Amino acid sequence: MKNSMGVELTESERVLMECYQNLVKVLQRDDLAPFERRNALKAVAALWQIANGLDLDPGQLYHIGA
Amino acid sequence: MSESPYWNPRHETMPREGIEALQLRKLRNLVAWTQAKVPWQAKRLKAAGVDADSIRSLDDLRRIPMMTRDEWMGAQLEEPPFGPLLAAPQEVAMRYHLTSGTTGRIPLQVLDGMKDWEWITEMWCYGFWGFGVRPQDVVFFAFSYGTFVGFWGAHYACEKIGCLVLPGGNMTTEARVKQILGMKATVVCSTPTYALRMAQEAKALGVDLASSPVKRLILSGEPAGSIPATKKLIEDQWGAKAADTAGMTEVGTIMIFECEKQPGGTHIIEDHYIEEVVDPATGAPVPYGELGERLITSFGRGFIPVLRYRTRDLVVRMPASACSCGRTFDLYEGGIRGRVDDMKLVRGTNVYPRAVEAIVREFREVDEFRIHLFTADGIQDEIEVLVEIPDASADANAIVNRLRTSLSEAHEGLRFGVKKVESGSLPRFELKAKRLQDDRIVIGTAGERRVQG
Repeated sequence: MKNSMGVELTESERVLMECYQNLVKVLQRDDLAPFERRNALKAVAALWQIANGLDLDPGQLYHIGA
Repeated sequence: MSESPYWNPRHETMPREGIEALQLRKLRNLVAWTQAKVPWQAKRLKAAGVDADSIRSLDDLRRIPMMTRDEWMGAQLEEPPFGPLLAAPQEVAMRYHLTSGTTGRIPLQVLDGMKDWEWITEMWCYGFWGFGVRPQDVVFFAFSYGTFVGFWGAHYACEKIGCLVLPGGNMTTEARVKQILGMKATVVCSTPTYALRMAQEAKALGVDLASSPVKRLILSGEPAGSIPATKKLIEDQWGAKAADTAGMTEVGTIMIFECEKQPGGTHIIEDHYIEEVVDPATGAPVPYGELGERLITSFGRGFIPVLRYRTRDLVVRMPASACSCGRTFDLYEGGIRGRVDDMKLVRGTNVYPRAVEAIVREFREVDEFRIHLFTADGIQDEIEVLVEIPDASADANAIVNRLRTSLSEAHEGLRFGVKKVESGSLPRFELKAKRLQDDRIVIGTAGERRVQG
């Protein structure tokens, strides 16, 4: 996986980005309990910082509530 | 893997061409987001012939119209409370803050979503980590935790880093000093003025702060954190290193920080902002080493996009090579030098409060001071500096005379009055200090009569 600057991510960085992408996906579902949704939102807001810091151009998250 | 001295090593040491490529990409994304979500801003961009596709180099940034605080305030008044500036529905927000009210008629009101708030703390992490704060630190915040954003983001940044955080809101100065000592705080965060105030209190309590565990002070909220004489005074009284930072509610967090090398300036967080320095009168860019006004474009908070915002802050930009820390982020030498509208014209001479403070702080016997402008005999403006000299053994008359001469010599021979006043009679400040009182009814020798009321 390469970032927007054309730099190959490390294995650890790739794992973190998979977590982020999976969270974004799951937060678009409507079958999450309040404790699941709100904690996942906190986690995705934090992981967004990594995606942004790794130049993955993660865009905005308001559409999923973060 | 050894611990990095940088919060984001890849970005903080990126070659200049990499930083510029990153900024260009983020600028295009920001313009596209703004066009799509904020019609009020989109209209301004369209009128200037700007869209995301037309941003091909960083030079195209200058085609984007500058935005002023007056425009922001006007938009808020037009459509209270936030104006037509929001890019997302209010329901998604989880923080509300407003400006401190030191400038402008009405405070600016802002919102943040979860991701924005995390980003706000992220910016503070650059500063704290860059100044050597680590998870084992105990960090005390001398901060009132109100609607002014102040150190809020810094508090959460320290939680993120893993420090033990001591939220020192709603406490007397004495109680704060006692908690700092009692909890063995290693880092203290406050305004420069309040760092001095706490040192005074410690002295009154018979405490030697220099022998306390405090090793670092993180200063913010006033330009004084980069005034050498003030900073030295703070460092000596605390026996600790002090770092300057500066932020603004309009972006929600800091945009500059001082690193551990203490190069006499503050690094710009260039992977999250584009900072321009322009002539405040013409808007033309000024080169490295020259005083100008900061314009900020922020890639952070998406709720209220900020493009080429006129900060009114005066700065002198220097290349990254001016610091030996290895960061490739440029610096502002001397931090924020003051504000465009801070300057006072006194009988034809420009007087900047920061320059006056720099001189006053060279006189260690002066505990607190105030700059007072007034009109004498209904026709002439005068400037006087009121000082407190609490040490009864000091030769107050000699100090007053030397200070008067120093101030005058630094201001083209301008006559300054200097008066000793009773100790404890001048106001003390926790947040931004307001040491200048302008009571003039006439500005300048043959100047305009100020509108009364």
